[in-house]
Amino acid sequence: MSQLDILLLVLRVAFGAFVPLCFIAVLVWMERRGAAFFQDRSGPNRANICGFRAGGLVQNLADAVKLITKEDIIPDHIKHKFYFVLAPVIVFCIALVSFAAVPFADALIINGKEYLMQAIPTDLGILWFLALAGFAVYGIILAGWSSHNKYGVLGGLRAAAQVISYEIPMGLAIISALVVYGTVNLTEIAQYQGQLLFGFIPMWGVVLQPLGAIIFIVAAFAEANRTPFDLAEGESELVAGFHVEYSSMKFGMFFMGEYVAMFTSSAIIVTLYFGGYQIPWFSTETLVNNARAITVLLMLLTPAFAWVFALWMAKNNKSHYDRPNDPRVREAQIYTKILWGVVAALEIVLFIYLITVSGGVADRILVTLLQIVTFLVKTTLMCFVYVWVRWTLPRFRYDQLQKLGWQTLLPLSLLNIFVTSAIVVALS
Amino acid sequence: MFADGLFIGFAVLAVLGAVGLVLFRHPMNGAMSFVVTLISLAGLYALLSAKLIFALQLIVYAGAIMSLIVFIIMFLNIQPGDLPQEETKLFYVLGGGIVVLPIGLFLAKIVKSLPEHSTEILGNNFGGVKEVGLLLFRDWLIPFEIVSILLLVSLVGAVILAGKRGTTK
Repeated sequence: MSQLDILLLVLRVAFGAFVPLCFIAVLVWMERRGAAFFQDRSGPNRANICGFRAGGLVQNLADAVKLITKEDIIPDHIKHKFYFVLAPVIVFCIALVSFAAVPFADALIINGKEYLMQAIPTDLGILWFLALAGFAVYGIILAGWSSHNKYGVLGGLRAAAQVISYEIPMGLAIISALVVYGTVNLTEIAQYQGQLLFGFIPMWGVVLQPLGAIIFIVAAFAEANRTPFDLAEGESELVAGFHVEYSSMKFGMFFMGEYVAMFTSSAIIVTLYFGGYQIPWFSTETLVNNARAITVLLMLLTPAFAWVFALWMAKNNKSHYDRPNDPRVREAQIYTKILWGVVAALEIVLFIYLITVSGGVADRILVTLLQIVTFLVKTTLMCFVYVWVRWTLPRFRYDQLQKLGWQTLLPLSLLNIFVTSAIVVALS
Repeated sequence: MFADGLFIGFAVLAVLGAVGLVLFRHPMNGAMSFVVTLISLAGLYALLSAKLIFALQLIVYAGAIMSLIVFIIMFLNIQPGDLPQEETKLFYVLGGGIVVLPIGLFLAKIVKSLPEHSTEILGNNFGGVKEVGLLLFRDWLIPFEIVSILLLVSLVGAVILAGKRGTTK
C-alpha cells in the first residue's frame, strides 16, 4: 500500500465513524429546535458559555455533562447484568457500523486508481445495511428482557415485534428498487441516479420508484422506533419501555443510538431514493470538466449566502424586551465576524486553488468535497423530515401499527415488485 | 499471517459458541452463544471471499431466525424454576464426548492426510452478488426454483397449521 492508500483509508474510516457521531449533536439540537418551532415556542435558549449559546447547541454540552456525571445504577433485581450492559452497546455500535457501506461521494480517481468513498469499500452495499438492521433488534430485546421489569419487557416485545414485521415491507421495497438499479452496490446505485430521465428529470429513485420510496421511508421510521411508531417507549402506557431501568451513560447510549440510527437510515434513504451524493443535473464528469467555473461560482455565492445569513442572525438574535447593552446583539455581532472570517478563509483557499493547482487531481478532490457537502445537506434535510413527522403525527395504536405493516405495506410492496418487474422487462 | 489469525479466532469462537449452546442452562445464554457461532461462521465465509453468503448468513440466520428465537424466549419469560432438573447432565455430556471422540479423531486424521496445497482467492469477483446470481439463475435454475417451492409449501403449511388451531377453539 502506498502512502496515499493509507491516507485515504484513514480519512474514509474517520469520516464513517466521526460524522455520525457529530450528527448526534446536530440532530439532538435539530429535534429540540424543531419541536420548539412546531409548537411555537423558543426551544433551548438559556444554556451558554460566556454568553455564547450557539443557537442552543450549548444545551447539548450541558446534557452530556449531566448524563456522564449521573450515578450509573444497575438495579439489584437484575440477574443477567452482562446482557443489561451489552444491550445499549449493541444498539449504539450497530447503528454506527451500518453507516459504513454508504457512499458519501463518487468514486475518487487519483492517478488512475479508483477509491470508493465508503468507510468500508465493499460492494455488498444495501445487504450490509440489511444484515446490521437485523442485529439492532438484539439490543432492544436484551434491554427489555434483562431489565426484568414489566414495562421493560412489554416495551421490548413491542419494539421487537414492530422491527421484525417492518423489516419485511422494507426488504420488499428494496427488492423493487434493486430491480430498477440492477445492482446492490450503493456507489453504483448513486451513479445510476446521476443520469437524466427524458433528458431533463434527474433519475432519482423517488421518481422511478415513488411507491417503493414511500414504503421504504415508512418502514425506516418504524425501524428507527421513531414517532409515530414509538409505541415501545410510549410514556403514557409504558413509562419509557425497554430503557426504563437504564440510567446515566447507559441511557445515553440508547439516546445517542437512536440519533445515529436516524442519521444512518436518512443516509440510506437519500442514497436509495434521493440521488445520494449526486448534485441534480451535474454529473461527476460535468463537475470535473467545469471545475474552474464552479469554483468561481462558489466564490461568488458563498459571500451572498453569508450576507443573507448574517442579516437573518442580526434580525432574530436579540432580546424580546429592552435591555441596556443587549448581550444577544453583541453575540450576533461576534458570530457575524466569525462567519466572515470563515468565508474569507474559504475564498483564499479557493483562490489559491484556482491560480495554482486547478486541473487534474485537485479538480477531482474539489468535486468530491462538493459531493460530500451535497450528501450531508440531503441527509440533514431527510433527518429534518424525521423531526417534522415526529412533531406532527400522533402515535398509532399498536394494532393499527401492525395492521399498517401487514395489511397495507406488505401487499403494496408486493404489488410494487410485480409492476416494477413488468415495466423493467417490457422496457429492456 | 493476518488471515490465519482471523481464521483461528473465528473457528475458536464458532466452536465455543456451539459448546455454550449445549452447556448453558438458561435458554437466553444458549441462544446468544449460538448467535456468536453464526456470526463467526459468517466471518469464515467472508475469509473464503464468499461475500454474498457472508451477507445472507448475517441477514437470514444471525439476524432474522435468531432474533425470532430470542424474541420467543423473551416472550415465554422463562424463570430458573421453570427449567427441568438436569442431575444427569454431566453424565450425558461425558458420554456424548466419549461417543463423539472417535469421530473427531477420524476427522482430524483425514484433515492431516490431505495433500498440502497453497490456497489462493479466486479472481473475477468470485462469490460476489452478481456472480452467484448468474450461476444460480443460469446453471442451477431448476434446483433453485424447486427449493423455493419447498419453502413456499412449508410456509403455506405453517399458515394452515396456525389457522386450524384457531378454528377448533
